[in-house]
Amino acid sequence: MDGFHALCQSLRPDLLRFAFWLCRDHALAEDVVQESMLRAWKAQASLQDGKAAKSWFLTIVRRELARTFERKRLMTVNVDDLVAAEEPALAAMEEDHLADMRAAIFKLPDAYREPLVMQVLLGCSTAEIARELELTEAAVLTRLFRARQQLRALCGEDTTEDPSE
Amino acid sequence: MIDHDDYRRAMLADPERDDPELRAHRADCAACRAFTSQLLAFEAKLVRALKEDVPPTSAARPARSSADILPFKPRGAPPVRRPRWLAVAASVTVALVVVGIAWLGAPRSSLAADVVAHMAGEPGAWNTRDAVPASVLEPILKRAHLRLKPDELTVSYANPCTFRGHLAPHLVVQSRAGPVTVMVLTQEPLSRSQHFDEQGYRGTLVPMPGHGSLAVLMKSPASTATDVDAVAALVRSAIVWSP
Repeated sequence: MDGFHALCQSLRPDLLRFAFWLCRDHALAEDVVQESMLRAWKAQASLQDGKAAKSWFLTIVRRELARTFERKRLMTVNVDDLVAAEEPALAAMEEDHLADMRAAIFKLPDAYREPLVMQVLLGCSTAEIARELELTEAAVLTRLFRARQQLRALCGEDTTEDPSE
Repeated sequence: MIDHDDYRRAMLADPERDDPELRAHRADCAACRAFTSQLLAFEAKLVRALKEDVPPTSAARPARSSADILPFKPRGAPPVRRPRWLAVAASVTVALVVVGIAWLGAPRSSLAADVVAHMAGEPGAWNTRDAVPASVLEPILKRAHLRLKPDELTVSYANPCTFRGHLAPHLVVQSRAGPVTVMVLTQEPLSRSQHFDEQGYRGTLVPMPGHGSLAVLMKSPASTATDVDAVAALVRSAIVWSP
């Protein structure tokens, strides 16, 4: 039991960030992760291998997100309005380019943003992402390539020497 | 043999990938080395954008509120909860138990732990080899009111990081014992040096009277405390403070 609680505690911050970058809403991300933790707690006996915990929790959070999206039609938000709404926090950041980067991340299509967040934030391997998203590894690599290419362009990086597909 | 496009496609898909074929191409191609440096700097910003404002030791310290966890502060109005009282009550119970256990068992935040956690957020920095151009390095150091004596150090990575809310130049210096991460912590005064060995990294925190402290880390067990101390002394002697 203690081990499970410690596991929840160690994974919770990154799972919250993951949910946030996917659903773009703090309150909803908290709800989703809270609900996911409950589901995980009830189903902890099914977690046989501690090394697989991250993937196990990730699957639960993704399913909970999907359930949430199925239950209700979420309000569509304009990305620029969303970033502006976070203005006080963003203004506190010392470097403006991080705010630009966040706005750009939100503008990525979900199909590109999700594997990118899984790779960069959660440290998932290509194989893990492929398994979770039910894609081939080649497809995952293509999405990650496109995600960074688009992100670099959105952030005003010089992409003239980037390869074409 | 891979060509430029193959190399760049692979790096854009996974900047951490470091197989022999990619290394060989990078060694032979100055344009792709420059591309890699640019990409790794961009990747470091991406990591920070995704993780910014989260206490570096949050994995070991219980979160007290969403503001401790999420990258942004919550907006004014509290979130509207679904009236599922049973789930909410159970969640609160679980959260309280988790918080209590973690709070009792977790180590307190330390400067060394925070430095290690910060550095772990920019793993690509360890893979850099080529010297950062002076046109990139100097402005970063200048913002922290310092410069390095010319030709004393090979700096292969430089990023103007935010550490505990303050600007802290994050460098990777190439030494005979391998790459060394250096952070100039101008807002973290120390009374005496502290050695540490945390999460696979060996390092030292060195006071710089009037200028905060210096953090120097190497990967262990490949390094020794002597290696770390030697690099720390080298870096300290190379720093020139400016008004």
